[in-house]
Amino acid sequence: MSLDGSVGLQWLRYRGGGTMLAWLLHRLTGLGIVLFVGTHVIAAFFLQQLGSDLAITITAIYESWAFQVIVYFCVIYHVINGLRIIILDLWPQLLEYQHEAIWLQWFIIIPIYGLSIFVLIQHGLIGG
Amino acid sequence: MQVTVKILRYNPEKDEKQHYESYQVEADPTDRVLDLLEKIKGYQDGTLAFRRSCAHGICGSCAMRINGRNRLACKTLVQDLNTTKITVEPLLGLRVIKDLVVDMEIFFEHYRAVKPYFVNDEPPPEKERLQSPEERERFDDTTKCILCGACTTSCPSFWANRNYLGPAAIVAAHRFIFDSRDRAAAERLKILSDHFGVYHCHTIYNCTDACPRGIQVTKAIGEVKKAIMTGSLD
Repeated sequence: MSLDGSVGLQWLRYRGGGTMLAWLLHRLTGLGIVLFVGTHVIAAFFLQQLGSDLAITITAIYESWAFQVIVYFCVIYHVINGLRIIILDLWPQLLEYQHEAIWLQWFIIIPIYGLSIFVLIQHGLIGG
Repeated sequence: MQVTVKILRYNPEKDEKQHYESYQVEADPTDRVLDLLEKIKGYQDGTLAFRRSCAHGICGSCAMRINGRNRLACKTLVQDLNTTKITVEPLLGLRVIKDLVVDMEIFFEHYRAVKPYFVNDEPPPEKERLQSPEERERFDDTTKCILCGACTTSCPSFWANRNYLGPAAIVAAHRFIFDSRDRAAAERLKILSDHFGVYHCHTIYNCTDACPRGIQVTKAIGEVKKAIMTGSLD
């Protein structure tokens, strides 16, 4: 008898560092975008096909600024991390600087996300 | 200094699943993790199983997870871990035979699949097949692989699907694909462009960080991807 080698949840304890976190966040933010688009589709379905009030409830959820704060992060992170991956795929010689590329990506993401959230919260609080 | 070594153990003859056992070991900061395992096996628990051979970072036998990352036990000094609590676990994604010993068969099966040997059917020249220093430099990095498996077993894509050839096999293919004397590059690129080839790599970079030889594994995979995409080895 021997263990079959299935990893289960043990992978969560692997210390892959910033690059593994970048990959994990890419997957999670991708799921976040699917969730956001999915709620749109479901709300539209309930509104147009069934004329249900449930559509208004779902719309209120995805238009709430708490939801938007998460969606903004998902979209901005997914786009910029995706661009990093595309650039490194096209110019593999740059893969030597992968760690630096991840730092650079955060230097781009943080101000863009911060500014977006600032505008979002400002509009959420004072209207406009 | 007193070090606590926590080992993920498994005895196929009596255990249903893996469990941790801790050992107190007297160690010098310059001791290697392999030295600690030898002390445990020699003086505390002779049933502990692990692989080791050269103990000098060349044979690749003692790859294991040390404090959550793949490393060679013979190249990891206690002082470099910055802690007196050391956790040692077998490589992830491979069948565990006993304690820290894993079944490497699938790893070598993938390795063999990429034809990791020189192919050239042209008549041999009178002396050797000449190669310029630049041509040799092109694949120098990937010649350093010792087949320890640290890269492949640190790869989340491999954990998810063990049919994926994995970083080590791609590194082995890279070594011959970019060798100007070899004539089977197209054949290897075809194998690597398959469903379980290079496109399972999501540039997670664990492999490069885990490689005890400092090979730029993700870069090598990227170069193979580009060669498949462009059909050119330049």
